[in-house]
Amino acid sequence: MLRLYFFLLFLLTIGSIHAQDFKFGKVSVAEVVEKVHPQYPEANAAVLFREHNTYYEINKHTGIMLVTKVHERIKIYNKEGVDWAEKVISTYHSDSDHEKVSSTKGITYNLENGKLIKDKLRNNGIFEEKVNEYNGKVTLNMPAVTEGSVIEYEYSLRSPFLTSIDDIPLQYTIPINHLEVKITIPEFFGFQKHFNTRSQLDFQINESRKKFTYNFTQSQRSGVRAVKTSFQNNKVEYLENIYEISETDIPPLKDEVYVDYLQNYAAFLTWELQYTKFPNSPIENFSQTWEGVAKTIFDNGLEKEINRTGYFKNDLKKLLKGINNPEDKISKIYNFVREKVKWNKLAGYVSDNGAKVAYKEGAGNTGDINLMLVAMLKHAGINASPVLLSTQDNGVPLFPTRSGFNYVIAGIELPDDIILLDATDHNAFLNELPKRARNWQGRLIRQRGSSAWVDLMPKKQAVQSKSINIQFKDNMKVEGKSISNYSGLFAKSYRENFAGLNRDNYIQLLEEDKGNIVISGLDIKNKKSIGEDIRQTYEFELADVVENINDKIYFQPMVFEAIKENPFKAKKRHYPIFLDFPSVTNKRINIMIPEGYKVESLPENTIVEFKNGKGEFKFITTVNGNFLRVDSVLNLNEIVFSPLEYNNLKNFYEQMLNKHSEAIVLTKAR
Amino acid sequence: MRSTFSLFLIVLLLSCFSLTAQDYEISAIAPELFLNANAVVRSEEISIEVKSIDKIIIHKKRAVTVLNEYGERHALAADVYDKDRKIKDQEAYIYDEYGEEIRKIKKRHFKDHSLVTGGTLHSDNRVSYFDYTPNKYPYTLVYESEVQSSSTIFIKPWEPMSDYLISVEQARYQFKNPSQIPIRFDERNMPEKVERTASKYELNYSVSNLPARQQEALSPDFTEFSPKLLVALEDFSLIGVKGHAKNWEDLGRWQYENLISERGRLPETTLAKIEKLTAEATSDSEKARIIYNFMQENTRYVSVQLGIGGWQPIRASEVDKLGYGDCKALTNYMMALLQSQGIASNYAVVYGGEHRNIDAKFASMEGNHVILQVPQENDETVWLECTNQNLPFNYLGDFTDNRNVLLVKPGGGEIVSTKKYLPEENLQKSKTNIQLNDEGGFLASTKRVSKGIPYGNTYYIERRKKRNQILSYKEEWGYLKNIDIARLEFENNKQMPSFTEIVEFTGEKLALKVGKRFLLPLNFFKPEVEKLPRNTHRKLPVEIKRGKMFQDGFIYHLPEGYTAEAIPESVNIENEFGRYVLDVVLKKVEGKEVLTVNREYVVNEGRWNPEKYEDYREFLNLILALNNQKAVLAATH
Repeated sequence: MLRLYFFLLFLLTIGSIHAQDFKFGKVSVAEVVEKVHPQYPEANAAVLFREHNTYYEINKHTGIMLVTKVHERIKIYNKEGVDWAEKVISTYHSDSDHEKVSSTKGITYNLENGKLIKDKLRNNGIFEEKVNEYNGKVTLNMPAVTEGSVIEYEYSLRSPFLTSIDDIPLQYTIPINHLEVKITIPEFFGFQKHFNTRSQLDFQINESRKKFTYNFTQSQRSGVRAVKTSFQNNKVEYLENIYEISETDIPPLKDEVYVDYLQNYAAFLTWELQYTKFPNSPIENFSQTWEGVAKTIFDNGLEKEINRTGYFKNDLKKLLKGINNPEDKISKIYNFVREKVKWNKLAGYVSDNGAKVAYKEGAGNTGDINLMLVAMLKHAGINASPVLLSTQDNGVPLFPTRSGFNYVIAGIELPDDIILLDATDHNAFLNELPKRARNWQGRLIRQRGSSAWVDLMPKKQAVQSKSINIQFKDNMKVEGKSISNYSGLFAKSYRENFAGLNRDNYIQLLEEDKGNIVISGLDIKNKKSIGEDIRQTYEFELADVVENINDKIYFQPMVFEAIKENPFKAKKRHYPIFLDFPSVTNKRINIMIPEGYKVESLPENTIVEFKNGKGEFKFITTVNGNFLRVDSVLNLNEIVFSPLEYNNLKNFYEQMLNKHSEAIVLTKAR
Repeated sequence: MRSTFSLFLIVLLLSCFSLTAQDYEISAIAPELFLNANAVVRSEEISIEVKSIDKIIIHKKRAVTVLNEYGERHALAADVYDKDRKIKDQEAYIYDEYGEEIRKIKKRHFKDHSLVTGGTLHSDNRVSYFDYTPNKYPYTLVYESEVQSSSTIFIKPWEPMSDYLISVEQARYQFKNPSQIPIRFDERNMPEKVERTASKYELNYSVSNLPARQQEALSPDFTEFSPKLLVALEDFSLIGVKGHAKNWEDLGRWQYENLISERGRLPETTLAKIEKLTAEATSDSEKARIIYNFMQENTRYVSVQLGIGGWQPIRASEVDKLGYGDCKALTNYMMALLQSQGIASNYAVVYGGEHRNIDAKFASMEGNHVILQVPQENDETVWLECTNQNLPFNYLGDFTDNRNVLLVKPGGGEIVSTKKYLPEENLQKSKTNIQLNDEGGFLASTKRVSKGIPYGNTYYIERRKKRNQILSYKEEWGYLKNIDIARLEFENNKQMPSFTEIVEFTGEKLALKVGKRFLLPLNFFKPEVEKLPRNTHRKLPVEIKRGKMFQDGFIYHLPEGYTAEAIPESVNIENEFGRYVLDVVLKKVEGKEVLTVNREYVVNEGRWNPEKYEDYREFLNLILALNNQKAVLAATH
């Protein structure tokens, strides 16, 4: 009996699943009535159904086309979800050809007096726009969308770029209830699929093969470049590889701070072309190993560019006259390139206009500048090589592919070390890369195209040391002197943020978060000498920091050098935490105890360790005669932390925050 | 023979031209023009020629010396174009500090980009630009262009001082009008040393050696003191639509007749719906509320600015079908909906965002946004923002409050001002009970009510996700340590309107342990006081655009066994800028000590002379200092 009951229940469940009809136009009243998402009540919208179908269309007249058909049904729960009523489809344009969006249709469903009302997407809701030389977009603005609406649209993206299948999204920032993906690839194209391994979601993929028949004749030559041999009305059978995903209840992607690049953590499927094998032509291999990718890039322009010397030969000779020491040569050349050619904010590992033009015009892209740098270094007898990498916003590639690189820097190999250089950043010293280039790893390409990985993450700890001398004044103010020293990436970031400001504006900025302060006598040494430590000194008068109650002085010794908030506020963490660079921050406050007072209480000394010494915070007070010294040292040796370490990291900062806000008490000596 | 000669003459003329016009060495700049300047306009020549009612040619040549990286944004080589406005020619030159030409950029090297790439904007405006990467400062960029437009309604005012931190060596403006269409013109804030000749159909203006202005906190709008020449044609054309206007009344009427009227028809089904919805309503104001709500529920903001659509609303029937539109379309739709119930309202053109007035004394195409005005017979005028789906009825907020708008009425245009919020209307009031524990931690329960402008800055939190709501409080009260939100509740009273937040949370180390005592800060929440930079040579008047009022109560329940050993004195400061009152009272309730702190902080709106800046700054600093006040708690045994 019980069994029967379960059986019936089972049937019912099946029944209810099938009751949902995902055919275009078959939206149910229940879908429009639904008020909140059953599993994710906070979702502003949800994808009720998404079908993604990519295949190759072979047509006698037009040749082969790569077609992607998308059908999406989205539920809008509230006003915030209305953003999803706009669908933007990106298209790619090359010099001679471009992707097209066609067969677009859309319907918005609303409920009126219990009846389903349909509003069709018409041409006045479809906008096509060419954004720039290579990119276009088509926007669908769904009509009559309001809270509760269900929208549905369908379109085909037809692409002549047969060898690149776009990434297939498997996760959005809203839940996806039902996802159907089907990719059909004829055996002419050898694609390897990759899931994003950094996503925490798992997907089942079904693979199968099917025969298909292809008729072709002698006269039919267009489109498929490899049809060379002539046959008369021939019929050939080929295989198609079919990949299918059918998944339900995909959770939304969450947004967090201190993440390198959010898309790195989304679920998606990406396709790597390994070879092509067209009828009656040999297999053509495409890049498969990083070694191969690097070699291909090297052979296609890089090598030529780093061996071109004619345009700078004479200038370099003058520049290096009388210099024999390799280190001096390196810094001379590096500074010369940075001064001579400025970065036009465009990435790329190839020269846009050629380094020669960039040299003449004084501006160029990353390829222009850093390949020029490699060429000059090599010409001067330095063992320099180009290093390919992927910038943070290009993500981390999942397989060897040319598009996995989008940037190039220079590397100089020493017997047991390597110096990395990026001349596009006018504040960077040797071995200091801009943040954009500190991602994943780089591929150094040696002579003749052999290559190896190099680590791009900064390893050397940058140090900032601040020392403040404080004296109490009669009027409950304090006055003092601040001396700060910045090295390495601290100095670089100081130069990026402040070096260009004029004195008045900088003083304004310095005073901004320090309370009721007046700063004078500002002096900055080595502001512009890249590679040197910056030394900044100033005097100050600070009011409203001393509490004088019943013959006691209460005072927070860290004054404006205290950290004010914990940067980590969320309770839970989903993705790894990325800090900028390894660092040491020393803060020393020397306080002169006013005459007639003695120390009544001091904060306790503390040492907090985190992750076996990868992080350490020390807070130590010492009294020596009339002087009280407070030392705060923050030592961070590691910069990437897993979500599991989040709570410890948060606590670590919390303890520092607590220590920094503690006060000393001085009492009038009797 | 003849042709050779003329060719020679042309070559001669060209070389003459280049010799005289291009003297851009840095050493030629007068020293006072470097002061506070990131860039110097070496020479700007704008020549506008009206060929006919629908053909205007704008020739521009602008040489800017860029002194540092911050000056780059003043030296642009770009023009905007669309179907109605064509770029005939574009060129740019770069000179080094000695005035030597180092680059020449031809039209074909300019790049083309869609002007808007933002989400819900559709427009056929594009920009043709050259993006120069300097490798040295200073350098001089000379940009020359010729643009032809068939819309003569827009004649860009001449504003030789384009911004702060840029000085002007020489700027010339020429307006030629061979078509002899009558013109109007007017000046604003012209410097004394301006040179001008004005005849019936031609204007010549020039200024030289204007030093750079420095930006100062709390200063009036830039347009209130920067020089400007306004020019308009009495007969004009806008994308093929002709018109005639001498003043705002004419221009408003023309806009109404050509752009707005006859675009309000609604389908029967919608009319029936509105009829039904408002059937029970007893007053026009109640009806208007219902209709506003209907409009908000059924539309969203999508901007479509194609051709004349940049100036004319889409028909109400179209908006009804699509369920979206831009500010013009939605305002026109709302106007039509109200009209169906016999409620009259007016389309109102305004500058949205930072405070900016439409010039009441000179009629020209102005504004960047549209709202709706609903006149009331015996009551304050009602204003409706139609592009927001959540704002309460008759709430403008800081986007469009207190500024001139143009009412586009059938009878003619009229300039009126939108609602101004008084300090007591901009009230944020809170009451917090704080239970302290004997480790310095606390359990707090807060109720905060926001009205007026603060309403608009708080009410949207209700619609955020819980996780983000919590994070947002943790950010706002980031100075409280390790807070953990236990309860969140909101009440959005759209009638008032007022927004109430109820937050219960715990935190640590509020009271600082020092030896055997605790230091307890009196200001549980910090008052919203800005820290102003020191400025001993203030030049511009001080302007506080909106008054505000904060009333906060903090009731500290001391932990058992503790007594307040010392409490700061109460404070009461009042001056022309506002008022700050801190009232501290210690009581015993059921054997436990309760410390009650009542704080009131009022900032008046107004305008003061430059020398008052330091006084105001001192007032704020005093409040900031009082914010640090602490009570001392000691154990009783």
